[in-house]
Amino acid sequence: MTHDERLERYAELAVRVGANVQPGQEVIVHPTVEHAELGRALVRQAYRAGASYVHVLYSDDHVRHAMIELGPDSALTYSPRWQVALAEAAAGNALLATTGDSEPELLADLDGERVGRAIQTEIAEIRQRQHRENTVNWCGVGAPNEGWARQVFGEPDVERLWEKVAFCMRLDEPDPVAAWREHLDRLETRAAALTALLPDALRYRGPGTDLTVGLLPTARWGSARFRTSGGIDYVANMPTEEIFTTPDPGRAQGTIRSSTPLVLHGQIVRGLEFTFEDGRIVGVEADQGSDLIRSQLASNENADRLGELALVTSESRVGQSGTLFFDTLFDENATCHIAYGMGLAYAFDGEPDPRTNVCNVHVDFMVGGPELEVDAVLRDGREVPLIREEEWQLAT
Amino acid sequence: VDERLERYAELVVQVGANVQPGQEVFVQAAVEHHDLARALTRQAYRAGAAYVHVLYNDAHARRAMIELGPDDALTYSPEWRQEFVRSCSGNALIATTGDPEPELLADLDGERVGRAVPHEIVKIRIQQLHENSINSCIVGAPGEGWARQVFGEPDVERLWEKVAFCMRLDEPDPVAAWREHLERLAERTAQLNELRAEALRYRGPGTDLTVGLLPNARWAAGSTDTSGGIPFVANMPTEEVFTSPDARRTEGTIRSTMPLPLAGQIVRGLELTFEGGRAVRVEAETGADLVRSHFATIENADRLGEVALVTSESRVGQSGTLFYDALFDENATCHIAYGAGLPFVCDGEPGEGLNVANMHVDFMVGGPELEVDAVLADGTAVPLIRNEDWQLA
Repeated sequence: MTHDERLERYAELAVRVGANVQPGQEVIVHPTVEHAELGRALVRQAYRAGASYVHVLYSDDHVRHAMIELGPDSALTYSPRWQVALAEAAAGNALLATTGDSEPELLADLDGERVGRAIQTEIAEIRQRQHRENTVNWCGVGAPNEGWARQVFGEPDVERLWEKVAFCMRLDEPDPVAAWREHLDRLETRAAALTALLPDALRYRGPGTDLTVGLLPTARWGSARFRTSGGIDYVANMPTEEIFTTPDPGRAQGTIRSSTPLVLHGQIVRGLEFTFEDGRIVGVEADQGSDLIRSQLASNENADRLGELALVTSESRVGQSGTLFFDTLFDENATCHIAYGMGLAYAFDGEPDPRTNVCNVHVDFMVGGPELEVDAVLRDGREVPLIREEEWQLAT
Repeated sequence: VDERLERYAELVVQVGANVQPGQEVFVQAAVEHHDLARALTRQAYRAGAAYVHVLYNDAHARRAMIELGPDDALTYSPEWRQEFVRSCSGNALIATTGDPEPELLADLDGERVGRAVPHEIVKIRIQQLHENSINSCIVGAPGEGWARQVFGEPDVERLWEKVAFCMRLDEPDPVAAWREHLERLAERTAQLNELRAEALRYRGPGTDLTVGLLPNARWAAGSTDTSGGIPFVANMPTEEVFTSPDARRTEGTIRSTMPLPLAGQIVRGLELTFEGGRAVRVEAETGADLVRSHFATIENADRLGEVALVTSESRVGQSGTLFYDALFDENATCHIAYGAGLPFVCDGEPGEGLNVANMHVDFMVGGPELEVDAVLADGTAVPLIRNEDWQLA
């Protein structure tokens, strides 16, 4: 397979299985400047899938850097009308976004408080509404590039990164589309078994970790395969290896330690440790980057409450790749993770529980590893092992 | 930090767009031009911009649309893009040129390429031109593809040196040098406006063309003011004095003297014959179909919108370089544009003589053999340009 064939095959998988672009839909593609090669392949494949029009909006972290460093305060949270119009145009249409930070430490020299405050509030609210109403068939995929490869391997070996990404994406399978369908079925079976258990809480135990998180009675466990309100199936993240739910933001108690570095707004947070009381984060410690987290928690209402719990086992292709990708999209699929901030309205079959956390940010951090034990706590207090040594324990 | 890049961006922000504190600034650049777009963003914030919007264009996405998209996509103007363009009113706009892949669309159906115009967006742009509400500037962004086009090899550094020369970045104080240069051009426009010529006559190899002038159209150059009173230089570099002609009174034949990169193709040896103001014959060695498609599908594209005079004092001409880019090449030598006239050169209402079209394409006609005369109302011919030198005292 030549690089160009691999690229088109990858884009085709993202368009057909990921966003599942329907003939006649408009498609919005959001690459970064450094992801132009993949962005263009996504545009081609979207037209081949019958898109009526493909909108492309590149984002540029250097422009963001200039705004945070040199712009006035009012610029930090500004949502330009044209960007609002594009965000609104996503409803009823398909969206493809790329990840794979080309300069993960680009914003590291800036004032962490300003970086944390720089959120386009109005656009974030539109995205959340679309999330809630589930009106967009969307997919996020990784775009290998030099900076990302350097971050992962210490050298800009883009080809090696491409091979890792292709492995995680099952592009080595004779029929990647069929392989993905089978894989997603397995995750859904797991999610159904856990939902049927009706657990009241999850308990996490491991080195530096003893955390109990309450669950909401009507929130189910699900996989990243979703269906829009208009009936279009899509896979929001590729690769995906997780089953997840949204927890009770009022019931988290104890301490949890992050097991891998977290890349956030151009900075790297290492050794993150949260302490919770009655659902709220009351303590933030980190070897590096704790200011950024504290600023984000202080300036975004309810960011100090949990929005997501996700379980991943050693069958994960991302985990098997043995690679720390320094990218949430991948790393959150290597191992168990938790998110603070926005809860997931789509974890409910009907109306979301009104307690579901409402927030303008959603940040996943990894907590899994061989020593992490995860139990389901039932209403009668019984504890049912879910994960030991990264293996799934519950019969399906 | 690349000092030359920052100095270049600073000149464009301060002299070109002349960004005012508190203005929003819109940067439109090819995705390959991100280095310059980023420098422009930094300099715009340093000049006091309230916000800098950056919209990257991608010719590959455009190619995919023309090749693979449905017919409706060709002329579609997405609402968010319309909003972007509308938001420019009252603000500053900086755009980049320097085609990264000049022949990218060359293998596509020329008729579809010609038809691929987002009409609603062009309408808004033309309206803004009428209102003269934007302090805007277009500048070149050196890159590999452009350098390969110019030199036959991707020597970006050599192209940067040429561009820096044309932009007077070698002057100790480029901002002062630009002010002086703009004054010289302004003197020429004053001379021409005093002459009150009735027409221009072009003569040269393959060329004998008379273009009527409008009594209420002034000659302009370099720096103009927005309706809000902000001076700006719409193109950098600029070496031209220009006006909009009477689109109803063009007679004869004119031959282009330089290749014209257009919509991903290259038009070579273009020759247009006019009768009663309209192009009645289009010939070219390459790209004739594209120009014919413009004339057939875009109303009034077949009439003239601009005449511009350039002399051998031009830094672009002195550079001895064919840049394959209209922004530069039109400043090497005399040029003419088919399509939209320039409403801002008219005193009062433009009237019927000023062309209205959803397109404006400059093509170069100058060279050592071109003679340009002003024809006065009494029939006297006053030499304006001989051997690329300015003739008016």
